[in-house]
Amino acid sequence: MLNRRLLLLASVSALLTAGSARADAADTAQALVEKLSRELVGVVNGPGSATDKQAALEKLIDRDVDIPTVARFCLGRFWRTATPDQLKAYGDLFRAVLVKNITSKVGEYQGVTMTVGKAQAREEDVLVGSVVTRPNNAPNRVDWVVSAASGAPRIIDVVAEGTSLRLTQRSDYSAFLVRNSNDVQALIDAMRRQASQPG
Amino acid sequence: MHADMTDSSNLTRFPDHAIEQYDGTLMPVRGSITWSRVSMRLSVRPLVAAFTTFCLALAGCTMPPPVNDPDAVAEYNETNDPLEPTNRVFYAVNDALDTVILRPIALGYRAVLPSPVRTGVHNVLNNLGTPVTLANDLMQGNTRRAGDTMSRFLLNTTLGVGGLIDVATERGILDHPADFGMTLAVWGVGDGVFLFLPVLGPTGPRDAAGFSVDSFVLDPWGWVGKGNTVRNLRIARTGLSAVDARVAVLDDFDKVKAQALDPYATIRSLYRQYRTKQIDDARGDVTPQAVKKSP
Repeated sequence: MLNRRLLLLASVSALLTAGSARADAADTAQALVEKLSRELVGVVNGPGSATDKQAALEKLIDRDVDIPTVARFCLGRFWRTATPDQLKAYGDLFRAVLVKNITSKVGEYQGVTMTVGKAQAREEDVLVGSVVTRPNNAPNRVDWVVSAASGAPRIIDVVAEGTSLRLTQRSDYSAFLVRNSNDVQALIDAMRRQASQPG
Repeated sequence: MHADMTDSSNLTRFPDHAIEQYDGTLMPVRGSITWSRVSMRLSVRPLVAAFTTFCLALAGCTMPPPVNDPDAVAEYNETNDPLEPTNRVFYAVNDALDTVILRPIALGYRAVLPSPVRTGVHNVLNNLGTPVTLANDLMQGNTRRAGDTMSRFLLNTTLGVGGLIDVATERGILDHPADFGMTLAVWGVGDGVFLFLPVLGPTGPRDAAGFSVDSFVLDPWGWVGKGNTVRNLRIARTGLSAVDARVAVLDDFDKVKAQALDPYATIRSLYRQYRTKQIDDARGDVTPQAVKKSP
């Protein structure tokens, strides 16, 4: 009898702990996105040259985005067939291309506003909703996926109007690889060209 | 679950080939009713067969990957694009036409007309589309959404001066999409194979059929009136709709073409994800809300 009660107590407290851990994760994730959104909007709309803004954005990306995790996700099934050297080159290029794609059009986002909504804890990550409004554009629903799987909570995906950035990127790489005889080196070469293209 | 999940489990909690839904759950790759069963029921099978033969003759089919590569097979099935070579031909044709015709028109339209005028045109076109939206809301059994559509139409047509001003959105009644492709999806019809059609662009059998039903059956502006004026108005509406839709994606589409290694595959993925989200929202009778600032 006592044992059963203990067991019940233990499971209830375990549930509570799990529940509060998830609530904590949601709060942390929301705080992260709110801070990031304030800083993003501040940089984009603030004074300074395009180069200054790009450098500031790059810092924010490195701080808040779990780039290695996203890179690994985007390579999908080819992660296992690549050599360690290729993985290293791929990881570096992935970061370079990501940063370039995000920062290159910083001037176009002048006047942007962002409203962060409530965080929603899911099984393994937290979804933080937001609405991004650019002048002369319809407001866009943008969800930020935050995960602490690699230690500290960081962003692992951005979902704009239902389309996931990392899923789309993985489809792109996978289609490219299938059409290039599954050769990861071909992908790396293509990414190197992307990274070295101007603006 | 996959045998290889362990080595990448901290990253991917689902197999590489699954589609992650908006809420993070896994989406079944096909609906409960496959397209072939639907087409049999509607006895359009000869048509599908003829179209398939035509496509095969034009460019050939993708061969499925060898069975000893389960990941590649899974990806092939999930992509569900057996007509890929043909689709890529149409993609190239569409893209060329877009580059020389539609994109320059859209760029000119955006450069010449001030933003309030473009917004006004967009609002009027949108308002003209509300009967089709309402019909589909009702067929999807979505009473909340149908109510929103009704309110939007009444408010915008009266206070909004014939739809010119979107007063409904200003009052928090936001727009949502509803078309017959979504209605069919709610009724259980799966995506079917991926199609890239001339003019229509990325679609599938279900959504292409839905588009025809919306345009030629459900649209009340096609039922009334005749004569040259009415015909010209219809042509103007179709043309303006095309330009309005193209302007909305000008920057995004340029970005995809500049940044994707395989723009065709990227558009295919974006289209599927976008549709999945729209259909999920329709299934749940979700009325879009402005995101409230957290306390």
